[in-house]
Amino acid sequence: MALATGMSKQFDSVKSKSQLQVVWEQFRKHQLAVFGGMVLAVLYIGAIFAPFISPQSLSEYSTTDITKFHPPTRVYVIDPETGQFNLPFVYKSKRFTNPDTFVEGYTEDRTLKYPIKLFHNRPESPFKLFGFIPMTVHLFGVDAPGNIFILGTDGFGRDTFTRIWYGAQISLTIGIFSVALSTVLGLFLGGLAGFFGGWIDNIIMRFVEILSAIPELFLLLSISALIPRNIDPVVSFYGIIFTLGIIGWGGLARVIRSQISALREVDFVQAATALGASEMRIIGKHMLPVTFSLLIVNLSLSIPGAILTESGLSFLGYGIREPFSSWGLMISVAQEGGFASIEYRPWVLIPGFFIVLAVLCWNFLGDGLRDAVDPRKRQ
Amino acid sequence: MLPYILRRFANLIPVFIGATLLTFLIIQAAPGDFLDAKRLDPRTTPATIERIERQFGLDKPIFVQYGLWLKNFVTGNLGISFESNVPVWDLIGPKVFNSMILVFGSTFLLYFIAIPIGIYGAVRQYSLGDKSISLVSYFFLGFPSFFFALILIFGIIQLNWALNTKVLPVGGMTSEYYDSLSPIGKVLNILWHTLAPMIALLLRSIASESRGFRAQMLEFLNQDFVRTARAKGLSERVVIYKHTLRNAITPFVANIGGLLPAIFSGAGFVEVVFNWPGLTPVFLEALFSQDIYVNVSIGAITLVLLVIGNLMADFLLGAVDPRIRYY
Repeated sequence: MALATGMSKQFDSVKSKSQLQVVWEQFRKHQLAVFGGMVLAVLYIGAIFAPFISPQSLSEYSTTDITKFHPPTRVYVIDPETGQFNLPFVYKSKRFTNPDTFVEGYTEDRTLKYPIKLFHNRPESPFKLFGFIPMTVHLFGVDAPGNIFILGTDGFGRDTFTRIWYGAQISLTIGIFSVALSTVLGLFLGGLAGFFGGWIDNIIMRFVEILSAIPELFLLLSISALIPRNIDPVVSFYGIIFTLGIIGWGGLARVIRSQISALREVDFVQAATALGASEMRIIGKHMLPVTFSLLIVNLSLSIPGAILTESGLSFLGYGIREPFSSWGLMISVAQEGGFASIEYRPWVLIPGFFIVLAVLCWNFLGDGLRDAVDPRKRQ
Repeated sequence: MLPYILRRFANLIPVFIGATLLTFLIIQAAPGDFLDAKRLDPRTTPATIERIERQFGLDKPIFVQYGLWLKNFVTGNLGISFESNVPVWDLIGPKVFNSMILVFGSTFLLYFIAIPIGIYGAVRQYSLGDKSISLVSYFFLGFPSFFFALILIFGIIQLNWALNTKVLPVGGMTSEYYDSLSPIGKVLNILWHTLAPMIALLLRSIASESRGFRAQMLEFLNQDFVRTARAKGLSERVVIYKHTLRNAITPFVANIGGLLPAIFSGAGFVEVVFNWPGLTPVFLEALFSQDIYVNVSIGAITLVLLVIGNLMADFLLGAVDPRIRYY
């Protein structure tokens, strides 16, 4: 007895790290992954505070003061007239048509300066922060009738910067929700197939085979076409999540199935069975935790794919619809008016770089997590 | 061998029927049908609509329609496009050829470029070259193909403008003066037009394939038989190309099965952005006007090709990997 307590004391003195601590330490060594995580944090916080960060409302444009395809507003720190240092300000622009090329453009009206104000109060574009705090103060802005479009405007004259942050709310969450849905489906169906085997396994796996046999783009487009065109945009938002979710679960289901069916033969599962544990308890308590690390990695590596797919669908007009904003939908403006039109308004491509950034950072994060949970890759 | 092929075919028939039935149901389930637009058109009499309905069996229950379609498909009749009133194959045949030009060329170049890059990355793991290649590939993997295509178009316009000549065309498959060209000139003209879409297709796929190939190579480079080969004093060239590459290439041979349907089903977004007269725009148009037989037939042909491609891949796999035998 004395020996036993002595030994347990000895074990206590050696502090062992929990699985999570080890993973976290490994993850922190992966610089790109940490960088990706931080950039994503900025993007997601930006999406949450979208109405506050953006100077205008989601689909705000003036019908009297036309700002169609307005180039990014130039912000001056040095007064071009006097050459003196000034607090940042902008000029209001006037529309004109170039008499030679007939291309519509804007010139600055240099008679009046519009200083950029931080925490600018703009009662014309009220919003509810987090959906319930009514506010009219925006992070920055200029007094009327001036306006500030730091990333230009689209074909309606709506501010690109504003729509990018509102679009982030959709583009960044659709990835997470749809992957969550396909993970639940893959886990459930793969688990069923692996645990029970037999005809259940057969049916589920045949269905996975059928799904993977149809070309993905065709399947995606055909399912998206099921959503009626004149439906409430909110419903179509859920429709896209659903579409992406029910297409993406096959691969995960295969992996989970093979893992679960291998686990059935493992000693600790047999021991649990011998002790009389119920099937649900064995699956939930003994088998699923083993697949946990695999799930996390799968989750973070599938999200960038889902973001890309959503942007593509929205670009083709089968995804997010107006007046909602999504990064893919915003780029579809670039196709308006033929190829040459991009030359006159390259800023409509800017939302695309946000897609690239988000996908890049999710990939960094996913790779970092994958290496962190893999014991063979530990340093 | 023959029993194996027959068994494979027997396994694939339910998949084929399941997949075509699923496609059929999904496409038919879309709200409204092709005749909706016609019904609203005052020039179309109800009698005409009834005639069309009877002609295509649209008034029958959906499973009967599927049966009719399947019977026609097996006998080689793909049905008729409602929209343009021509047989489906006449509509999609030329487009398939156009798509093939793009996809075939880019797939060939893809392996031609991606495999050497992958080998380099694995052999010189963590060298400066490897690190920069993998950073660049990460970057390209973030680009949606349509966005990359648009950026390319923007770049080409700038380039053409700066040099004041047409260095590259920004869209389409042929120039306006195409008809006046000699046969060789026509081929060259099309090849000239493929350059930009091909680059758009390639950069992304090179990024992903070379990373995959690098990982495959590394998997084998660290194994015992490679160490043995080196210990025997074999030259590095033999170790890499004969001992490692032979093994690393197997999963890529298995993927060849997917190439056949991929070549058929077109270059996707790139075709849309570059205004390439390929299969994807036809599919989108048909989806929009609910010209169902066009969509279902495209899906079904792709499936048949997938089946054939997978069988071909099996044989090739047997050829490159002597451990695999089919009896």
